[in-house]
Amino acid sequence: MSSTTQPIARGSHFNRILVIAGHAFTQLVRMKVFYFLAVFAVIAIASNFFDLPQHEGPESIGMNVLRSIKSWSLGTMTLFSVVLSIVATALLLPKDVEDRTLYTILAKPVPRIDYLAGKLLGVLILVFVSLAMMDVLMTVVLQIRSSMILTQQVAMAQSQGWPQDAIESLRAETAQHGPNWALQGAVFAVFLRASIMASLALLISTFSTSTLFTTIISFLIYFIGHFQADARDAYLQAGQAGEGVFARMAALVFSLVLPDFQNFNVIDAVIEGQAMPLMVLVKLSLIGLYYAVFFTIASWFVFAEKEF
Amino acid sequence: MKAWQRNGILLAALLAFGATRLPLEKSLGDELRKGGLAPPPLEIGTRDKIGQTSSAVALGGLRTLVATFLNLRAFSFFQEQRWDDVSDTFEMIVDLAPRTRYYWETGSWHSAYNAASYYINNSNMPSLRRKEAWRAAIYRGRAFLERGIRNNPSDWSLLSTLGFMLTDANKFPAFRDPDATFTAAADAYQKAVDTGNAPAFVNRAQFYALARAKGREKEALALARALYADPKNRLPTLRALLLVLEAHENPALDTAKLAVELFETPERALEALSGHWQRTRERFPVDGVAGALGALEKMLAVPPEKSILNKPLQLPNGPDQWFSK
Repeated sequence: MSSTTQPIARGSHFNRILVIAGHAFTQLVRMKVFYFLAVFAVIAIASNFFDLPQHEGPESIGMNVLRSIKSWSLGTMTLFSVVLSIVATALLLPKDVEDRTLYTILAKPVPRIDYLAGKLLGVLILVFVSLAMMDVLMTVVLQIRSSMILTQQVAMAQSQGWPQDAIESLRAETAQHGPNWALQGAVFAVFLRASIMASLALLISTFSTSTLFTTIISFLIYFIGHFQADARDAYLQAGQAGEGVFARMAALVFSLVLPDFQNFNVIDAVIEGQAMPLMVLVKLSLIGLYYAVFFTIASWFVFAEKEF
Repeated sequence: MKAWQRNGILLAALLAFGATRLPLEKSLGDELRKGGLAPPPLEIGTRDKIGQTSSAVALGGLRTLVATFLNLRAFSFFQEQRWDDVSDTFEMIVDLAPRTRYYWETGSWHSAYNAASYYINNSNMPSLRRKEAWRAAIYRGRAFLERGIRNNPSDWSLLSTLGFMLTDANKFPAFRDPDATFTAAADAYQKAVDTGNAPAFVNRAQFYALARAKGREKEALALARALYADPKNRLPTLRALLLVLEAHENPALDTAKLAVELFETPERALEALSGHWQRTRERFPVDGVAGALGALEKMLAVPPEKSILNKPLQLPNGPDQWFSK
């Protein structure tokens, strides 16, 4: 055994996971996923030009553009992160089987949970890095545009003789639509939702026979996950609408098995200029972590006895 | 372990996991709804109207993005003057993004201002139909804005926009009872002031609305005196209305003397009160103004042929004129 592999074999779970994650990350980067950032840059800049000559009072000049930048940017981030987390995760296991890398890794004293966790972490690092880069770009565009708008608004307010407190109120209102902590929280919520999808895709890929199957099922679950809360409410308010026992049981199973993505729609509220309390983000993070841990353990449970 | 045993354990674990997270997610969902951070469920009608693709995108957590697309579509309808389509599109937009002030204001503006103006000028329709379409467009714009206010009760701008619409000389003739309309405008402005975020002009606008509502003169006078105490509020309209309300309160008042006090010089008083006298379309009260003008003109030796009181007043130019042909 070479001297470079010894520390890995003898090292802790954490070290092994990090090495596998690094490898998965490199593998995905070589697939040129970062080219997407060029598309994102075009979208972020193009969203600046949707300044329609519609109704705007002097005190809300340009506010719609700020909302447009956030809406387009966070929408693109959501699409990119969900697609990347599902497709990349769905691709990793079959690709390792195809390249025969999986046999090499599993032939070494590498626990299968470390392998799965490492692969998932690699995908999550890639999603995180991509989102962070998009976030920086969005924040820069938003900062430049909101400064321009604020300058216009203050000049307008001063020309109309607004008192200082009213100007400060206007400034604060515009700042709500500019780059702020709530927006960073919304980007993190996008990451959490993508993390849940990646861990779910990992679970599906452990018993799936093809990448396509994993991808399709994961996307279906993603969309259905936005209705999960409706099913849960239908179960909890059972009897009020006169549903039968079968409908209630179906609603219960539906809400127990599928993830709930409606809580992540808090991103929409941030785009509309509302503040996201830190506790909400903490709770979303805990829920995201809970999903990721459970789906990874469940993946290991299936993968542990899989023959290759 | 056999496959069915493994699958059984996995399913049981999945259900147990679901049962533990269910209350957590429900409580977070309730908290978000209570804090206005979770949008209400999308109406089935909206899901149908925006089409399956947009509906899927909206349900995939991209409601505001779909609203942005629909806003672009609404703008095209606006350019083509398809008012019903503009209205329908904004109904969908506000269902997708009910917290965005811009959509409520723009949707209402399209209806109450653009569509209403279009019907004034559309010569292809008989006058009676044009008048009813004009009135209906203004009513729809007002109703849309009021719905926006119910969804965003702490938004000063929506309240102020409603007040502005109800005191607009081109809009209030659409409503049957002008006093009720001015009172509603004053109430909207008052609520805007109560949010604590409204700029100072909203407070003055509240007074301008209240001064026009018959039966609310005492209240308006008290507000006028309070506003006048701050030098920043001493605009010509406020000074003129303060004089009018004082004269209404005390008909025996020497209005010329008060006018000079309020406007500082007889020349300025004459100029400002002449302007007020001519503003007939806005239906501002004019108690004591004629007397003050007469006395000021005498004081400044204005010849009778140049007297503002002998000049013809501006025509009302309201719906009766617009729809006479």
